[in-house]
Amino acid sequence: MKNGSYQKRIMGIYSYISENLYLNRPDIEIKGNHFNSTLFFGILTGLNRGKELIIGEPGLGKTTSAEYIGSILYQYPLGTIWGSEVSGHPEQTEEKIIGRPDLGELNQGKEQVVWSNFAQIPVKIVDELNRLPETKQSMILNGVDRGNWEYLNEILINNEYSLFATSNYQDRGTNTIISPLIDRFDVLIESRHPGANIAYSIGKEAETNHILRHPEYEKELHHILRADKPYQEKMALAEGICDLFGKYLKEQLEVEGLTLGERKKVKEEMSELEFDVDANAFVRMALAELSFCYKYGQKRSVDNCEEGCHYTGYLCHDIKNCASNRLPVSLRNYAQAAAWFLEDEGVDLEHARLIMPHVLAHRIQWKDSYLSKKEGEARDDPFPIYLAKEATEEIFQRYTEQREYLLEALSVGYRAFAGEEASLLEGDHPIYEEIKKDVGFKNE
Amino acid sequence: MNNPFEAFQQSVAHNRTIPLDNILKSKGETLNKILTGYEELLKNEAKDLVWLMQYSTVIKAYSIAEKGIVEIDYTAEDIEEFCYALDHSDQIPYLITGPAGVYVSVLCNHAKEEEINLHLRDLNVKINLLGYRLPYNKKLVVEGNVGDFAGIGLDGGELIIEGSGKNYTGAGMKQGKIYVRHNLGFNTGHGMTGGQLIVGGRIKGLGKIVGGEIYERDQLIFPPDGIKPFNF
Repeated sequence: MKNGSYQKRIMGIYSYISENLYLNRPDIEIKGNHFNSTLFFGILTGLNRGKELIIGEPGLGKTTSAEYIGSILYQYPLGTIWGSEVSGHPEQTEEKIIGRPDLGELNQGKEQVVWSNFAQIPVKIVDELNRLPETKQSMILNGVDRGNWEYLNEILINNEYSLFATSNYQDRGTNTIISPLIDRFDVLIESRHPGANIAYSIGKEAETNHILRHPEYEKELHHILRADKPYQEKMALAEGICDLFGKYLKEQLEVEGLTLGERKKVKEEMSELEFDVDANAFVRMALAELSFCYKYGQKRSVDNCEEGCHYTGYLCHDIKNCASNRLPVSLRNYAQAAAWFLEDEGVDLEHARLIMPHVLAHRIQWKDSYLSKKEGEARDDPFPIYLAKEATEEIFQRYTEQREYLLEALSVGYRAFAGEEASLLEGDHPIYEEIKKDVGFKNE
Repeated sequence: MNNPFEAFQQSVAHNRTIPLDNILKSKGETLNKILTGYEELLKNEAKDLVWLMQYSTVIKAYSIAEKGIVEIDYTAEDIEEFCYALDHSDQIPYLITGPAGVYVSVLCNHAKEEEINLHLRDLNVKINLLGYRLPYNKKLVVEGNVGDFAGIGLDGGELIIEGSGKNYTGAGMKQGKIYVRHNLGFNTGHGMTGGQLIVGGRIKGLGKIVGGEIYERDQLIFPPDGIKPFNF
């Protein structure tokens, strides 16, 4: 396939959903292209095998946007997607989420697991995640993180999956999402209200939603998924039905999803995109601010940094926790996906700046003093995303001021690490201290 | 352990070029070319730093200015930049408002854009002869006051002055329209043969008018019959 053909196809999916199924305003801009963030990040999540947490008011399309993207991109009929969704509620059980014993076999003294559709298919949607009690959230930690689902003595490993979870704002029925689970999500996105005028026209379009259903293929997929066959065999059979549904979509809607092989190819193409030096240095600078502590060696949520530290003006002073190693992974994957989607040759600063707020928003724990200082400010985004966007712009500002010097410092760092005689550059930012630590550690 | 700074092995802190740098560079180059054309005009037309406003001198200056800009690729914004450059003595050797106005008029008349907006409100000098020979299908909007001889020889274009003009505005105009938000000086419309001159404020005095129409505060004052509402 020619370069750019997949991208055109994905753009076709974006256009179809945005014009027919999920009507909303574009709210992000990159390199002159305007996108709706829910759809843009949803598509990147699907392409990238990512994990996305979608927040928003009830009824603003959090779940449906994920369903449409999953259905078209992975070529699964909408009914199958619906049938595999997990709803978050206090009475939810492992048996409904992951799998259950085959009762017929159990009566004969045999242990055999009937895996849930959710555990099996690659499009995983958890509706209202924060209505799951904290104790039950732990049940899906491993599955969310690695695609490993365990029940009784059996394990099912997904080769490919994307996870979309939705979460309402806090009310009496919601719980806190536990830190290890929230850190496993790559991005946080808000599904926004489309505005009065678009909202008015949504009612008229509602019936076309069912165009993504195909009862016949849904039934066949249901038979395949509940069959007593090895998982890989079932997936190969399911992929055959998905290909047929893909042809149906192409004929009926003139929109084309991706087959398993094509999705693999796309993922490979994305992974080949390199970060340019600016994006690379900018991300390092951000990570330094989010993990550095001059006094205690690194950020720890149990340590409280004091007033009067030299680095008071940096983000490390305003946050409680340390950036996890999943953060740069999420940033890398999504920035590569964005660059690929936009048909750019590599990842540059613009991609990194676009993605960074969404990989930070749910991971940063801000200090209470900082939150009270910022909460009254006028904004257009939910508070966590707003704070993350502000933080990203702050870091970007510092990067543009220090760019030449920082690149020089990193270059000197390379030479010093390689054993050359080089005196490291001093600078007023945690990254310079981090360079010293790396080179010092190596020379010890 | 791999070198964690591997990506910066070749990193020389070269200056990053952002699109704005290219735009500014290109703008600077264009302005330099325009200034060179203006200096050529002055060399030919104002050798002794004196320029007499005569029918023949204006025509000659116009044709020299036309030759001076023939290879310059400029936009309406560049014309405005030039007007501001005229106001700063460090960018041009000297300002003579007559040739400057002829030169600006040539730039406007040959610009790619059909509508040109010049924001000259903050300019200290008042440029003469703006809108000279403005042709059909061209619209020149000047925000701020203009000098003498604005819109003379207007040739079908539309000159809008969001401010006041001085003397001889619209002199010799043949066709087209001149709108003036505020006031005009003496000899307004002197020798005009056609077109409309519509003034929102006061006119100190009319010149000898051959044809066309002049309105002052909604009132048709030449020929002295009828009423035309003042409307920008």
